[in-house]
Amino acid sequence: MTRRRTSRRTEAAEPDLFGTTPIFEPTVPLEPTAAYVSEYIETNGYPGETARSAVTVSMLTETARDVIEGAFVPIWVRGEISDFKAHRNGHWYFCLRDRAAQIKCVVWNRDQFRIPAAPDNGMQVAALGRLTIYASRGEMQFTIARIEADGDGLRRKALEITRARLEADGLLALERKRDLPRFPRVIAVVTSPDGAALHDITAVLRRRAANVRLVVVPAAVQGQSAPEELCFALDQIDRWGGADLVIIGRGGGAHEDLWAFNDERVARAVAACRVPTISAVGHEIDISICDLVADHRAPTPSAAAETATRSQDELRRELARLSAHIVAATRANIRSSADRLRHLARDVAAASSDHVVSRRTQLEAVAGRLHALSPVATLARGYSVARAKNGTTLDSIGAFGEKMTFELVVRDGVVPAKVSGAPRANQ
Amino acid sequence: MTTFEQRLARLEEIAAELDGEQLDLSRALELFEEGIENLRAASEDVARAEARVQRLVEKADGTFELDESDD
Repeated sequence: MTRRRTSRRTEAAEPDLFGTTPIFEPTVPLEPTAAYVSEYIETNGYPGETARSAVTVSMLTETARDVIEGAFVPIWVRGEISDFKAHRNGHWYFCLRDRAAQIKCVVWNRDQFRIPAAPDNGMQVAALGRLTIYASRGEMQFTIARIEADGDGLRRKALEITRARLEADGLLALERKRDLPRFPRVIAVVTSPDGAALHDITAVLRRRAANVRLVVVPAAVQGQSAPEELCFALDQIDRWGGADLVIIGRGGGAHEDLWAFNDERVARAVAACRVPTISAVGHEIDISICDLVADHRAPTPSAAAETATRSQDELRRELARLSAHIVAATRANIRSSADRLRHLARDVAAASSDHVVSRRTQLEAVAGRLHALSPVATLARGYSVARAKNGTTLDSIGAFGEKMTFELVVRDGVVPAKVSGAPRANQ
Repeated sequence: MTTFEQRLARLEEIAAELDGEQLDLSRALELFEEGIENLRAASEDVARAEARVQRLVEKADGTFELDESDD
């Protein structure tokens, strides 16, 4: 019976014929009869001791790997990046080197989330990894889980890349910023349900007795799952549709603890959010990509709560202002109505008196003409008119008979008269 | 139900209309009365104000409910 092992890791599941774990498995098949290690060793020597008990290459490299992995704990190593290659299988391969030596390195795809950006050749970095043997090439390999570049170069690089991509899509444009509702009723808070941020926000709202409902949408704010959870929470808020403002953020922490808020996916989810957003990540000095995309950036979660809500005092002041405005405006309206009425009355009076004046003038003109035609005016100047009894005017000597009686009309009456002699014609 | 914000918006509208030129006196008085009524209701809202904290819970069928938070 042959016994093949491709990996020592599967060994535990198989019956252990040696009774103890051997360091080497011999290439010579174990005879079914050789039930004991001692018997085997007597016949063949220790595994690898003789040509007959030679071990496989796999055995050698696997054993070397076990020895090396057992000898080295995870360790930070400083060096310069060279020959960097992002393989299409998603893993990163490169060398870390100093003047005298180099070691082949790998960063598995699944570990890359802890590293802000792929390192560039020539970067001085410290890398945390485990030393191992890559069996299929028989090479020593440093398997890296974290990289910190001098001067925080990787984070700066990652920020620049993300920022440039968001900018290219117009997501950082100031015109995109929406006004926050002045009096939000329901504020969704995307943060850790146990974090300081939520505590700070609720404390502010209680103190101000703001008239709002706070709806917590829990999400991890640090760690591998944080970006996804933050995105999911924002998506939930949109699907729910009950919030009129979103605060997303967390309290202060180490730079890498805030890193999820620099994630491009989170930034895009914030930009896509249908209700206005306030980003409040860490302390005053921490500015995240999320801050740049949100409609408003608050320096801290407490400040976000203050920005988002009005206090009772503010609301009272607002009402007092409106009340004063409405009263004053109503008063002004009443005044202007009264003014208009007064003007109207004056206009009517003025118009009617104009009318009277013009009628009077007219009348006087007519009267003047009549007057001129009337004998009354002539009489007034001292003339008189002789009139027969029947009223005909006696205006020539021929009209007068001998001793005829007639009337003289003078300025202030009529005088009976009689012809006393013969009329004389003018010369 | 009229929200506080709607009331404030209405009050702003009323103030703006009252500021307008050549308003009928009867219209002005009507607006004034509506304004006073809104101010009274809004003041009551302010007095009642209290912050509530709830938690958004998505159920299996994709609907949402709000749980009262303990803290």
